[in-house]
Amino acid sequence: MPAPVELVIEGGPRPHVAQSLRELWAYRGTILAFAERDCRLKYKQAVLGVAWAVLQPLAFMAIFTIMLGKLAKIPGGGVFYAAFSLSALIAWSYLQNAISFGANALLADGALMRKVYFPREVPVLGAILSVGLDLAIGLVLFVAVGPFLGARPSPAWLLAPLLGLLLAALAAGVALTLAAFNVYYRDFRYALPFALQLWLFASPVAYPLEVVPEGWRGLYVAVNPAAGVLDGFRRVLALGELPDPALLAVSLAGTLVVLLSSYRIFKRRERHFADVV
Amino acid sequence: MAHAVRFEGVTKRYLRGGPRYASLRYDIATMAKGLGARLRGLEPEPRGTLALDDVSFEVQEGESFAIIGPNGAGKTTALKLISRISYPTAGRIRVRGRVAALIEIGSGVHPELTARENIWLYGQILGMSRADIRRRFDEIVEFAELGRVLDTPVKMYSSGMQLRLGFSIPAYLDPHIFVVDEALAVGDAGFQAKCVERMTKLVADGRALLFVSHNLSAVEAICRRGIFLLGGRVRATGAARDVLRVYLDWVDASHRDRLANEISPRPSQFLTLEAVTCHGLDGEERYAFKTGDDVEVRLKFGAVAPLRRPHVSIGITDGRPGNLALCSMLVDGGAPEEVDGTVTVSCWLHGVPLLPRVYQLWCSVRSEQAYGDLFDWQPIGAFRISDAPVLLGPAAHAHSATDGPVYIAHDWEVRPCR
Repeated sequence: MPAPVELVIEGGPRPHVAQSLRELWAYRGTILAFAERDCRLKYKQAVLGVAWAVLQPLAFMAIFTIMLGKLAKIPGGGVFYAAFSLSALIAWSYLQNAISFGANALLADGALMRKVYFPREVPVLGAILSVGLDLAIGLVLFVAVGPFLGARPSPAWLLAPLLGLLLAALAAGVALTLAAFNVYYRDFRYALPFALQLWLFASPVAYPLEVVPEGWRGLYVAVNPAAGVLDGFRRVLALGELPDPALLAVSLAGTLVVLLSSYRIFKRRERHFADVV
Repeated sequence: MAHAVRFEGVTKRYLRGGPRYASLRYDIATMAKGLGARLRGLEPEPRGTLALDDVSFEVQEGESFAIIGPNGAGKTTALKLISRISYPTAGRIRVRGRVAALIEIGSGVHPELTARENIWLYGQILGMSRADIRRRFDEIVEFAELGRVLDTPVKMYSSGMQLRLGFSIPAYLDPHIFVVDEALAVGDAGFQAKCVERMTKLVADGRALLFVSHNLSAVEAICRRGIFLLGGRVRATGAARDVLRVYLDWVDASHRDRLANEISPRPSQFLTLEAVTCHGLDGEERYAFKTGDDVEVRLKFGAVAPLRRPHVSIGITDGRPGNLALCSMLVDGGAPEEVDGTVTVSCWLHGVPLLPRVYQLWCSVRSEQAYGDLFDWQPIGAFRISDAPVLLGPAAHAHSATDGPVYIAHDWEVRPCR
């Protein structure tokens, strides 16, 4: 047994972000364990199992294409509406599920939090990671059916996982704050589905980014970092192009701001979670 | 030797004393109230409940340490602070090495997953590496006695099986400090014995054990040192036996207070009971005695009108229904021919064979014909056996204070069978 290190537990100053991140890195195996558990649990006792991950975006795409694409004649941004909406829906449903799953992770693991120590962001990040399985399935689905819907196969598709990573960072940024407040105020649990719906309509999922006047696009993406990433998915998957670097940079900056400030909020409250949850 | 855990003036205040599920509305209302008080120049009341109040103690490496006390004394809070589940409000805790905690065991295993999945995932959540788990997997399964149901979802298990699983995983974590909270209250006797063996082996290997239990004989048998917490404060600290004795004294005292409240002899139309006292051989009034002492129970009765042949009975109980012993003139004879005015009735109990705890005295007085109560059967007083010099075993204090109250002189002999 190696000589143990002394740990001092005090109520005083909170650890620095860099210190928290070092500790988080030491707990990477635990994040994976949480993610694996969530993946295993998700489709237990569900007859259709993983097919759910395929059915949901396809059903939404069908409704969107018929109602919005054909009847309301919303443009597909340079490609058939079906291909555009599927690419955006796969990305959006990841963001939405990751946020709502991550935001509730601490409540779901309340019993564990009251008996085991781990950095409290671990189950939140595990939950967001576990939803990544659905995103991966969605991307495989797009590769399989996209060409039939009018998407152009292209080497740019290889960028999609990177965009997925950006989306995960954004989801983590939003979910960490929500998870922290959820512990104290269950109100957030009820407000969340509603807020996500508002966000959906404010994001280029049912309509392409070009709907927004060109001069306003930068501001739009700065206010809604999801927009730049969702547009990136459309360009990469549906059009087979590279994403717009300027918009993506704005999205990336916005995401980092959200993530960092959210992490600080989370870490500042973390110590009281087990007393309250 | 170096300390494994050290509490330095630790205070813990739980902030929420209000509704269990806080709401934004409640918090805003409380904040407004605090602000209102401050505006009027008053200090807002500190919110919440004080679970630990300036607690200091030290646990050495290779030491088994008990935390005892009644419910709500802060025992579990102390364990939660050590395992970093909760944080102190003030003070400092020094912890050397990996801590494995068994607090509310069983709540960590997931009912939808199988035992195999739970061991893998829960083990990693507890901080074991995959290599650790692979190495320990068979031992854990064997310890939990779950070999045949390894691939069945845990929700199909009996609660005992779930708890065995919940204990076994952290038991093989290889912690430096092992924290156990009431884990022995569950599982069948055989599994409990295995758990205790596992804990004592860890201590023998140089790990520290912190043990919280209401099972006092387990505390006495397993722990070398300990602390007695009461209302979040340290009431006693030192060798486990001494701390246990202070605790048992406190239990007795609070028991006595409860008994004293119960005792208010109902007046009867024939007799009033004016005083009940216990005395030693020397005639001194006393409350506490040793096992084997002579005890004189002295009753002072006032007769409202002259009574013929009143039969006095005295019973002894330890709080459970029924008498441990009955001393009665109905059985022994010797009722006085006539009683008028105030009399003292003494009953000599020779070599009382009772073990340490508080005993309650009951009394009734029957009429001349030995039928019909002049004074109803009711509790009238209490005395305490505080010490039993004959007891020497590893769980002597706890057992003598909680199990069979009557001491029968006996000897043991073990001889081989032929």
